Amino acid sequence: MRRATRRIAVSLALAAILAGCARSEESSRQTSGPVTVIFKHGKIAGDPALFSSLLRRFEAEHPGIRVRDEILPASTDQQHQFYVISLEGRSSEFDVLSMDVIWVQEFARAGWIRDLSHLLPPHEREEFFSAPIAAVTYEGRAYAVPWYVDAGLLYYRKDLLDRYGFRPPTTWQELVTAAQTILKKENDPGLRGFVWQGKQYEGLICNALEYVWSAGGDVLGEDGRVVLASRQASMALDFMRELIDQQVSPAMVTSADEEATRRLFGEGRAIFLRNWPYAWNLFEREGSPVRGKVGVAQLPSFPGYPPAATLGGWQLGVNRYSRHPKAAEALINFLTSPEIQRWMAVKIGYKPSRKALYRDPELLRAQPFIASLYEIFLLARPRPVSPYYLMLSQVMQPEFSAALVGVKSAEQALSDAERQMSRILFGKGAR
Amino acid sequence: MRSERHLGAVLVAPAILVLVGVALLPILLAAGLSLERRLPIFDIAEFVGLANYRFLAFDPRFWVSLRNTVYFTIVSVSLELLLGLAIALLLQRSFRGRGWMRVVVLLPWAIPTVVSARMWEWLYNAEFGLLNYVAALAGLTTQPVNWLGDPFWALHAAIVMDVWKTMPFAAILLLAGLQTIPRDLYQAARVDGANPWQIFRSVTLPLLKPMILVVLLFRTLDAFRVFDAVYVLTGGGPANSTETLSIYTYKVLFQTLQFGYGSALAVVTFAAVALISLLYLKLMGGAYWRRLLG
Repeated sequence: MRRATRRIAVSLALAAILAGCARSEESSRQTSGPVTVIFKHGKIAGDPALFSSLLRRFEAEHPGIRVRDEILPASTDQQHQFYVISLEGRSSEFDVLSMDVIWVQEFARAGWIRDLSHLLPPHEREEFFSAPIAAVTYEGRAYAVPWYVDAGLLYYRKDLLDRYGFRPPTTWQELVTAAQTILKKENDPGLRGFVWQGKQYEGLICNALEYVWSAGGDVLGEDGRVVLASRQASMALDFMRELIDQQVSPAMVTSADEEATRRLFGEGRAIFLRNWPYAWNLFEREGSPVRGKVGVAQLPSFPGYPPAATLGGWQLGVNRYSRHPKAAEALINFLTSPEIQRWMAVKIGYKPSRKALYRDPELLRAQPFIASLYEIFLLARPRPVSPYYLMLSQVMQPEFSAALVGVKSAEQALSDAERQMSRILFGKGAR
Repeated sequence: MRSERHLGAVLVAPAILVLVGVALLPILLAAGLSLERRLPIFDIAEFVGLANYRFLAFDPRFWVSLRNTVYFTIVSVSLELLLGLAIALLLQRSFRGRGWMRVVVLLPWAIPTVVSARMWEWLYNAEFGLLNYVAALAGLTTQPVNWLGDPFWALHAAIVMDVWKTMPFAAILLLAGLQTIPRDLYQAARVDGANPWQIFRSVTLPLLKPMILVVLLFRTLDAFRVFDAVYVLTGGGPANSTETLSIYTYKVLFQTLQFGYGSALAVVTFAAVALISLLYLKLMGGAYWRRLLG
């Protein structure tokens, strides 16, 4: 008897608790708040207070949504690792995530991020550069919204080129000639010709593909087959190797990343530099030895082929396991809106993913440099758009590196890479 | 008597449970995973038996990373032992400022690995690096040496960094070993007219042997699993010339999410490490352990 009473009491209590939960959930749905959206991203350049103020502004415009941003480690490899482990573990601890352009396909294929096609209807897609749109589109659906873009640029020393009557090179051969002539005439033992990123890492792929593409080669063909081992690609890698052999590029490029080369050029010790747009603000900074002496151009190409720049940049998506997808979408809409992209370009230097902003008078007044980027971003090319990309990259990195340091011929490296890549895409190479 | 044994079993049970939970279980799980083709991105999880190990046997990248790892381990551990021994002998002598010296010697060991790897990356930098600057000043080189961008130099550069960083560990352990050797043995040897080399050969070395083996064991296991130092310094390049087993495993597991094959690599690494440990334990002999454990 006593036991029965207790049982009834317990079940009543449980029912009350459950009902309470259900009611509170319902009421929160009705009033749509207050919810907290957690936004994971890498470090934002500049003063952290700036970005914070932006999020506070979002909160003011969206009563009932609070945003907490959580910063991931600086290394993109570690960010990727964090996302992979959390999402594979179905973590709902964050709602909005910022993704490198090469991750979206993988995350979409794994079902880790929500379909955001409704945020990007066709007329809206037209507003963005086409390369990042391609990168976020998986099987016809959009899984992220491009936030800001990056692409490889050629920085050059205006003063040195002017002194010897050179114009910014449009072909790789012109670059070699200009570098060799200037090096010889300047006769400065500390001066180097052309620096770029040749360390065995993702940056090497970005660099090498710019040569391969601008020679008419590619990684994957229209039908999705691997077409990397081509005469064009082989010539492109041979050319990179020759840059080092002919001392147009210092040997250090085979271990150099963005910062190592940015510093060399920034100290006035190189004529040409391949780097991302972020370097510009650092060169033009007060006290910089190259301030006012730097020009920016499209990367050169091989005769008869258009130049190519590797696309970089970050995209915003929503965690599949997010408990507040609507609020998360509101944040993405806000951060990728024209107004906020303009604000971020002016205040932080991040380059908008929306094309129209490159003709925006207010933005051009604040950042005249941005006008020269439009054509480059328009022609920027994404690295192979495939959920297998990270595996393909892991195959290409050591093979490209081997061709650069002369362990293998370019032809051998490319055919070795192609064989392994085909096995990953069409065989059981992915294990 | 029996109840005492029971009590003993009860008392060690928590420790054994913890060991099973944090050591044995993960190893078994990894071993199980290594028998699968498991690609979470593509929703693939199928039992493939030993196929991953067959793939591994013919994977040139695995063999290159194994060769790099073995070379790295042998060269760096040998150098660490020799230099550590020299420093330990030096620090054992009494001289002014010996206390300070002991602290200073420990410094590289105290710096977090990632920080010291970043530091060495700049020291080795072909264009700005201190190393090339000094070499050029001393007239040793006419062209900057491409320490980290050359397949031959890069692995040796990583070894030098590792030796610099972990030699203090060897030195301190060996110094502790030297302190336990009774003074009167040295006095007796000197009375017998032994010269310093003979004393070192017949007194110091035999009595230091247990500690030398402990240093070798710890350092070999650490060196064989080296990851962070080399990963930060070179990322495994150029041309995979510094890719160690741990780096390759990391890339397969966490950068390309091939859980099955990554686990197979991890299991092989574990087997190699276990083998090395067994070898050392055998070298040390049962008597040593009996004495150590009382």
